[in-house]
Amino acid sequence: MSNIIVQQVAVFLKDFLPFSYLPDESLEKIANSIRVLNLNKNKTLFKINDSLHDCFYVVASGVIHLTVISDAEETLLNKCYAGDVFGLRPFFAKNNYQMTAKAREESIVYAIPITTFKPFVAQNSDILDFLLESFTTNTKSGSLMEQHGLISENIDLQEKQFDALYFQSLSYTKKPIVIPHSTIIKDAAQLVTNDLQDCVLITENGTPKGIATDKDFRSKVATGKVAFSNTIDKIMVAPVITVSESISVAEAQLIMLKHDVTHLCVTSDGTDQSEIKGIISEHDLVVAQANNPGVLLKEIKRAQNGKELKLVRNKLDEIIQTSLNKNIPLTHINSIAGEITLALIRRSIELAILDLGSPPVPFAWLCIGSQGRKEQLLLTDQDSILIFDDVTTDRYRDVRDYFLKLAKKATNTLEKVGYPICQQGHIAGNMLWCKSLTDWTKQYVNWMKNPGEKSNEISSVFFDYEIAFGDQKIEDSITDIVFNSSSNNQLFFDYLGNDAIKKPAPLNFFKKFNLEEDGEFKGKFDIKTRALMPLIDSARLLVLSMGIRGINSTYLRYKQLAMLDAKFSEVYLNCAEAFLVLSKFRALEGIKNDDNGQYINLDELSKPDKERLKNALMPMRDLEEVIKGKFQLTQFS
Amino acid sequence: MLDWLKNINKEYPEFWKAYLGKFEHKEPKYIAIHIKTTGFNVKKDVILSIGALTIAEDAVYIGQGYEVTIPQYRFLHDNGLSNDFVMESEQTKLSESQAIEKCVDFIGSATLVGYRLHNGLDILNEALEKMGCGRLKNEAIDIEIMYQKLNETMDKKYSLADICQAYKLNHEESNTTTEYAYSIALLFLKLKTRLGFK
Repeated sequence: MSNIIVQQVAVFLKDFLPFSYLPDESLEKIANSIRVLNLNKNKTLFKINDSLHDCFYVVASGVIHLTVISDAEETLLNKCYAGDVFGLRPFFAKNNYQMTAKAREESIVYAIPITTFKPFVAQNSDILDFLLESFTTNTKSGSLMEQHGLISENIDLQEKQFDALYFQSLSYTKKPIVIPHSTIIKDAAQLVTNDLQDCVLITENGTPKGIATDKDFRSKVATGKVAFSNTIDKIMVAPVITVSESISVAEAQLIMLKHDVTHLCVTSDGTDQSEIKGIISEHDLVVAQANNPGVLLKEIKRAQNGKELKLVRNKLDEIIQTSLNKNIPLTHINSIAGEITLALIRRSIELAILDLGSPPVPFAWLCIGSQGRKEQLLLTDQDSILIFDDVTTDRYRDVRDYFLKLAKKATNTLEKVGYPICQQGHIAGNMLWCKSLTDWTKQYVNWMKNPGEKSNEISSVFFDYEIAFGDQKIEDSITDIVFNSSSNNQLFFDYLGNDAIKKPAPLNFFKKFNLEEDGEFKGKFDIKTRALMPLIDSARLLVLSMGIRGINSTYLRYKQLAMLDAKFSEVYLNCAEAFLVLSKFRALEGIKNDDNGQYINLDELSKPDKERLKNALMPMRDLEEVIKGKFQLTQFS
Repeated sequence: MLDWLKNINKEYPEFWKAYLGKFEHKEPKYIAIHIKTTGFNVKKDVILSIGALTIAEDAVYIGQGYEVTIPQYRFLHDNGLSNDFVMESEQTKLSESQAIEKCVDFIGSATLVGYRLHNGLDILNEALEKMGCGRLKNEAIDIEIMYQKLNETMDKKYSLADICQAYKLNHEESNTTTEYAYSIALLFLKLKTRLGFK
């Protein structure tokens, strides 16, 4: 007789692999022996070189991070969410744990004793396969993890060298079909078909002697040259091209081209006299390249719904994370991420248009805020506006209704991808921000001529824009209006200047960080409002006041300012660098916590990192002086 | 107060002797327990159901639990209450004396953990007395008091749902005593590490 909690746990497990392979009674039996552990935030469950526990773990709630130490640095291997299985080492190995499992937030995990689970593994080969697979899968085989929720346990440091393509290692078929050379062709073909592979290896005494691929079956058997009742050695190609395990993508490509083959055999020492480790096919090479930005753009263009776009966006996360780890310049990462985000937005709008029919008049969809500046690395709020061409009053209503519908559809798709709707409602689906060109002109003129009238926050978001979809002319006319009304508009600049420097100070009198004093983020450092916003706002102000057009990113704005305004060029250059450093801190924090990275937990930073952060905050004071000197800020303070 | 004197020559039932014997070698484990009663009156009210789960080595052993429903025919009848629902449910049902005997057997010398447990324990003790036994000797811990200690708000009252919410535990759908016991057990683990006692 099992109690209700056991039943509930069994029902929970049933939704996840490998438990869904098991019948209900077995699940209850397993659940009956489960121990429930509570891990407080940052509690370590096991660490490298701890002796093995008598159980493996399933996350019930919360997030567990699996990390390894490589090059004296802690590297995140994987994040486990509810339903993920980890700590499988006791099943397969006798030596101590090879990684650290730590609760990222308060978590509850189920510990399943190995002794209870082992009989089920022995009876059910699906489960064994799953566990083996999750134990050995390369962490970076993104698509597979997407489907199965696999958590890698095996660390091959070579596989972590994930630099550019040329150092990238391959994940390939680890269990090729191996047959002796006396096998009948028909049987061999059956084996290949059953296993959904495209080749067989022919061995003698455990070493590879030959290979037969789809091509051989096609050209030698199907054409009738060799009868299928013959033995396989009649059609195999020998010798096999063998390579060692540590081969990179680029090397594999070269060897295939050189020998004009489609498959490479992996052996333990790279010669055909040693043990077989796997098969690399052309397809594996294609998969290995799937995570490069160009391929992502192509995938976005082909995506049919929000779900597919989300998969692409997840891959972008991986690219950003690995790029950050490899110290690829942030400006470069920003522009790649910006392009991909732009493509995502474009595709969302296209999908909406496909659904609703073509638009009645030309329009422009502008991204505003961070994406307008191409600084959107993380999944932060989406901000956008929609401007459509002027129409006669009798058509105005219908046209506006069409665009509102369009905008709602597109923003919903983006929300599915993971960009939350802006809290202030700055999205095109909002009736306020979906207007005709004339109305928008009025709106901008109004903001600029009468600053300060309920226009908090507005300045910061609406003056960074980039066209995502539609008519370039519309964007140009808005830009004209902005620059025309800004020339000699002292009042407007004074307002912006005031807005830029009145943000809460990042450091206090004693040069200590000003942390959040209460609320959900108590004790954390608000890097967005205290450090990034003043830099972004000031850059925008200075650019507008000098009439510099066409440069949207904060970094480039400072670079440009340094060129044009030689007197303060040092200040601007410092700000440009500071901006990059701060953005990187935010991006890393965001990736670590799966959020927008606004609040940084200083306790987790090392001392040198804290110093770097502090140094990056220094140029702000000089910048403040520059702004105070250029504009009269007293009017609004 | 004079219990020991009154009972000095009394012959206890077998299970009770076994129970007392367990305290010679006290087990280092906790038992999260929830006792559902009909009310707060020690003399008049009775136990409806008990749910308990074992906690050891900072883990909840969900398979090692005790759950029982006591169909209190006489009580329900006297008060004109319907018990059809309880009778039809699939929970284990035992008569009061059997249920309590098993319960005492299950908890042994473990430390009890509960939410406002004293009322339930008083009624349990009352029932034990009727069966010719003494009072329970187990230590007991109350999670409401733990929570008050942690927040240094001794005069504020918290419902179990309040505490669960503070730790983001899903408690809304709980209605059996075992589910209560499970919530209590998890809260106990959370509070225990926070208060830093072993």
